[in-house]
Amino acid sequence: MKANISSTVAPSARLPVKVVLVEDKAGVRDSWCKLINSLPGFSCVSVCSSGEDALRVIPSIAPDVVLMDIFLPRMSGIECTTRLKLLLPKAQILILTAVEDDELVFMALEAGADGYLLKRTKPEDLRAAMLDVLGGGAPMTSEIARRVVESFRRASRLPKQTVHLSAREEEVLILLSKGYSNKEIAEQLSISAETVGSHLKHIYEKMHVRSRTEAVARYMTTRP
Amino acid sequence: MPRSKSQSCFRPLFRLAGYCAGGIFLFLTLFPDAVFSAENSLPNTSTNWLVEATNHIGQWIWDTNTFDKQTCRLWRSFEIPRDAKVSSAIARITVDNGFTLFLDGQEIGRGSDWRTVTEYDLTWLLNPGRHTLAVEAFNDRLEAGLIFGLHIQLVDRQIIEILSDNTWFIVPDAPPDKKWATRKTALPDWHPAIVVGAIHHHPWEIWPYGLSIEPPLRPAVVRFWQTGWFQLSLFLVCALALLFCVWLMTQLAAQSKAQRFLQVERARIARDIHDDLGAQLTQLVLLGEVAQREQPANAAARAQFNQICERARELSHAMDEVVWAVNSRRDTLRDFVNYVCKYARIYLDPTPIRCRLDVEPEIPPDAFDLPVRRNLFLAVKEALNNAAKHSEAGELFLRIYRKGQKLVVAVEDNGKGFDPAQAGAERNGMTNLSQRMSEVGGICNVISQPGGGCLVVFTVPLARARRRAWFSRRPSPDEMDDMNAVVNVSDPANSQNG
Repeated sequence: MKANISSTVAPSARLPVKVVLVEDKAGVRDSWCKLINSLPGFSCVSVCSSGEDALRVIPSIAPDVVLMDIFLPRMSGIECTTRLKLLLPKAQILILTAVEDDELVFMALEAGADGYLLKRTKPEDLRAAMLDVLGGGAPMTSEIARRVVESFRRASRLPKQTVHLSAREEEVLILLSKGYSNKEIAEQLSISAETVGSHLKHIYEKMHVRSRTEAVARYMTTRP
Repeated sequence: MPRSKSQSCFRPLFRLAGYCAGGIFLFLTLFPDAVFSAENSLPNTSTNWLVEATNHIGQWIWDTNTFDKQTCRLWRSFEIPRDAKVSSAIARITVDNGFTLFLDGQEIGRGSDWRTVTEYDLTWLLNPGRHTLAVEAFNDRLEAGLIFGLHIQLVDRQIIEILSDNTWFIVPDAPPDKKWATRKTALPDWHPAIVVGAIHHHPWEIWPYGLSIEPPLRPAVVRFWQTGWFQLSLFLVCALALLFCVWLMTQLAAQSKAQRFLQVERARIARDIHDDLGAQLTQLVLLGEVAQREQPANAAARAQFNQICERARELSHAMDEVVWAVNSRRDTLRDFVNYVCKYARIYLDPTPIRCRLDVEPEIPPDAFDLPVRRNLFLAVKEALNNAAKHSEAGELFLRIYRKGQKLVVAVEDNGKGFDPAQAGAERNGMTNLSQRMSEVGGICNVISQPGGGCLVVFTVPLARARRRAWFSRRPSPDEMDDMNAVVNVSDPANSQNG
């Protein structure tokens, strides 16, 4: 998969990465679109102004990456992410947020987002982040890592909890929460940096699965 | 009203009285503890008291004229010498037909059985000075008289006797308020009583034949809590306390209302800054980036656009800090910990020092007092700054954990360290740190030695913060200070980023 993607995103690649932007403010939307198009190997194929719009348009496009604003009118970016992930499990969804709010970011990650970016991120960093998620990695800060560990530990005490972190995944998370970089973690655990990235990716998936099963369980129990 | 006159007329009654006496006798043998103590004690004591009574009781006295249904007021005053101490005072009285006895205006007792002498023990009621005896006597019909004797024995064996004789005064007409009974001196229109007969002489030959002894009388001691003024002031104090409580509660309610309002306002300000300014700034950054990209590769304008973008990013970052500080949702311990960790990570990112975090898991979202939070943050920031500038360390540990009711934040580097004894206090800024901590009741410990790294430990109380959270904090300049402080301290991080 990694080789496949890297050939896709190589500057000389014929097939650019398809990016869709979901953003309600027209000015911001245009700027982002221009910026993405200016990045080598990326193309902004469509823009949506709302979550409802995105759910209607995006499935037919099947983009590689969706950049999702977190605050959207009516349907929030988080809810839109949940639904979009069900329709297009392969699409990598990156949440765009103006403020670094751990609470919101955590909710977005649980909803199925593959990462998050600050809106003021430099275009080069945006490109790096998109390449990272396409390459099977998952960016995660130590604060988020700490929250993930805590949430899984709390959940594992509940009955009927089917989603658990593996010992290695927890190890990676704990090192991450202590401030170690992916590279340092790889050295410490004698694994490759890519493996660390894929562990994190699995952790995101498990968070997503868990929040989905929890939502289903809630739905089942609230039904008469 | 001696009954001897009517004896012969009521012969049939005697039989009835005999039956009654038999019944009483039967009753007394069945219930020996019955209440008729006067009759019961009669046979044993009769001789003794009679002998004594002749000595200690005066003569029968009365007003100059006697008539049926007569009320006669008899008055006498006496004096107990100064410095004398009463060892016993026994008063004996009976009136044909009934009496009410007063001492200094206070009622001592009443009696209506004129055939029995009533004995009162006044030992506790008499002290040196002038006293007044007053008797309101009532005659039903025919003969009337009062016999009285007060026998006072002083500690020095001196004896004072007040007997009924013609030294008593008759109070002719008295208003019903009994003021006459409290008078210390006789009024000129009062006239002396006359002796109507000696004891056991006609017409009272065989009477009185009984003695009833009342328990000793003690002055009614009025304790301070029984007095009216005390009860009134106690009531007033209670009422005042109640009013104060109500006032406090309304104040509290008003304050918590103000607090809620403040929180809502802070949330609104945070949202406004975020929604308006934040969004505009983000657009500015994006526009700048787009404009930059539309310039030729090495045009001078490109570098300038880049600078504009950087400045706008810094501004946006600084604004995030303001939003963080203003947002009342962030007033918790957990948010503080997250914030400090994030700050340390971003601050140390461009330096060669690797930041390691060791944070207690599951830190609760308890309220965390604003001044404590601010001072602790500024102190940690200074410790990080010191480490970045002087330590030459490769790794820095930021440990945050709770210990009892305290929060401990430790900043530990593996750098070159220093000798705390030699290093000037100003140079390492330790006095500043200690002062910051003492302001909020915390402690700052610095442990270092040359070549052995440096450990700075901050300990602040948590209980105080939690208790304070119950009471509302006033919207003080502190809040604004805190905001400014966070904005200011974010500068180094920004300059590092920029």
